[in-house]
Amino acid sequence: MSRYTEKRYRTHVLVAMAVYMLLMFLAWPYVRHVSSLPWKIALTLVVVLPVVIVIWLMAKRVMHSDELEQRLHLTALSVATGVVCAASLIGGFLCAAGVLALDGDVLIWVAPVLSLLYGATHLWLGRRYGGTGCL
Amino acid sequence: MKNRVRELREGPGWSQGDLAEKLDVSRQTVNAIETGKYDPSLPLAFRIAKLFRQSIESIFAPGKE
Repeated sequence: MSRYTEKRYRTHVLVAMAVYMLLMFLAWPYVRHVSSLPWKIALTLVVVLPVVIVIWLMAKRVMHSDELEQRLHLTALSVATGVVCAASLIGGFLCAAGVLALDGDVLIWVAPVLSLLYGATHLWLGRRYGGTGCL
Repeated sequence: MKNRVRELREGPGWSQGDLAEKLDVSRQTVNAIETGKYDPSLPLAFRIAKLFRQSIESIFAPGKE
């Protein structure tokens, strides 16, 4: 299997995130003003599409990684997923118990928090294995 | 596990990057193997042995448990 190089991965992610930023500025502001439900859904899905592409790129990166890199990616993902799952369970139960007042908007933070935790864990693991710690 | 990968790599004057390219792995993986921070899988150990035309046992030896 040919390796999906770091440079190509970064370029693709950068392009996808630039499109995401552009859509956040151009399309997202209209979502609350559009009255038609299909348009609301379409605009929301368009904004999320670049992020879905980034997730697919990450999966491609992991699949094309060598065995040590895969171990680092999967360990980092496991830590990030575990922490986010625990936090959402705690938040969910506290909300159900009436201790916290959370609305649906909080779900927007799941992906960024997961990515941050994944990045930090991957950095730490990379340094532990003698790498530069790059993602 | 102890190994002679660094010694074998330095024989023909290869850099870690050169060896990584020949084995189709990252430079970080070569470095981690050489420093004993990571033990390669059996398929990768076989690729290393084949590249240096040696047996696996002559390259890798069990370390302290």
